[in-house]
Amino acid sequence: MNRGLKLTDILVTIVIAIGFGIVYKLWGPLYYFVKPLGLHIDQLIYGMWFMAATVAYLIIRKPGVAFLAEVAAASGEFLVGSEWGLEVLLFGVVQGLFAELVFMAFRYKRFDVTVVSLAAIGSAVGSIIMDYYKGYIEDLALWNLSLFLGFRIIGSILIAGVAAYYLVKALEKTGVTNLVRPASKQDYDALDQ
Amino acid sequence: MDLNFNETWLHKINPTLKLFTMILMFIFVLFVHQINWLINLTFGALLLLLVFSGHPKKRVSLLLIPFLIIFISTSSSMILFGKGDTTWVKWGLVHITEESFYRGLHLGFRALIFATFGLTFALTTRPVNLFYSLMQQVKLNPKYAYSFMAGLRLIPIMIEEFLTIRNAMKVRGVEQERGLQAFYFKIKSYSIPLLSQSIRRAHRIAVAMEAKRFTGERDRTYYYKLGFSLNDGIFVAYLGVMILLGYYLSVVWPLFPVGDVRY
Repeated sequence: MNRGLKLTDILVTIVIAIGFGIVYKLWGPLYYFVKPLGLHIDQLIYGMWFMAATVAYLIIRKPGVAFLAEVAAASGEFLVGSEWGLEVLLFGVVQGLFAELVFMAFRYKRFDVTVVSLAAIGSAVGSIIMDYYKGYIEDLALWNLSLFLGFRIIGSILIAGVAAYYLVKALEKTGVTNLVRPASKQDYDALDQ
Repeated sequence: MDLNFNETWLHKINPTLKLFTMILMFIFVLFVHQINWLINLTFGALLLLLVFSGHPKKRVSLLLIPFLIIFISTSSSMILFGKGDTTWVKWGLVHITEESFYRGLHLGFRALIFATFGLTFALTTRPVNLFYSLMQQVKLNPKYAYSFMAGLRLIPIMIEEFLTIRNAMKVRGVEQERGLQAFYFKIKSYSIPLLSQSIRRAHRIAVAMEAKRFTGERDRTYYYKLGFSLNDGIFVAYLGVMILLGYYLSVVWPLFPVGDVRY
């Protein structure tokens, strides 16, 4: 069985990612209008920016898709003129990489809500590493920093983990995922009967 | 909406070179901890955007408004809750110190310079040229480049579909309700059709491309040929001068009496 990405996989991943790129762009204003509320409430919605990786992986279920989707979504957001500019591109690369590493750790064999949530946490960790270099976050008061980290991780599990899982589950009912997923063992068994 | 602009030398820079130079600038700025230097760099970047982007001043100014909000929101947490020794204000959880104030300001300028470079790139680069250039200059696999270009072409269709769904709901009298359940319903009724249609369309395009013998081989011909020109040199020189002059001015005329903003 050839596990590499075919043109169909790449094109579908990128189209999904560009859709998310637009969502990412629209999410920006929401994020910075919530931010002045203080106490890092904004971090609860940060997880939206990790969603392309997990959703694309759940739909296509192949190695490399999570990384490609996150990078493509970030590029889409960058090209339409993100308020954060270049930042989104590099954050996208790191977030995608960390999500991909989590899926790799499970050898691309599990597609349940736990693994997806772990991938979301992975992306959150990636973004926190970037923020460490960019935002001097270690210089925040300790209670404030804990709030920041806690909210970001909770938010990413809820949005990029749980919500992404149920979104794809709903999408499966339309039958569209059968177009792009590789044939599973069950499909081959069904042919033998 | 009028979206015309003049082509300036910034538009003629090789897109790959522009992208990679800006990424290098990004990484460089992460290592600038002197607030005076960073402010000078930010002015250099803003000058590039305002004078040479070729877009009307009014449009650029409008696009700069969100930057101000980001500036304030990025700096405020650090100013209000950052570590520091020289206390200015202490009020409940809020603890503003001299150190945290300058660090917050530094973060604000950092966000501003990233955003300025990003907007400059977005306003002066055609995505098609960028992907053609990436295929030719850094040998990006055509499968990815063409997928991207096809994907970008689908954005207007996605928007149209979004409007269709909204109108269809209106026509059928779907009531706008409030609350969590209504929110969930709304998300679901938009995202599922939009996603499934996009996937179907992408799948059809891929099949069509392969039927027309698109193989994704790197050894192929290109309709647009992109190379390097004098403009690339001017761009790199501008950034080089900006860094050096910015440093010099920050030493001779420092705006704020602080050096390294780290705690």
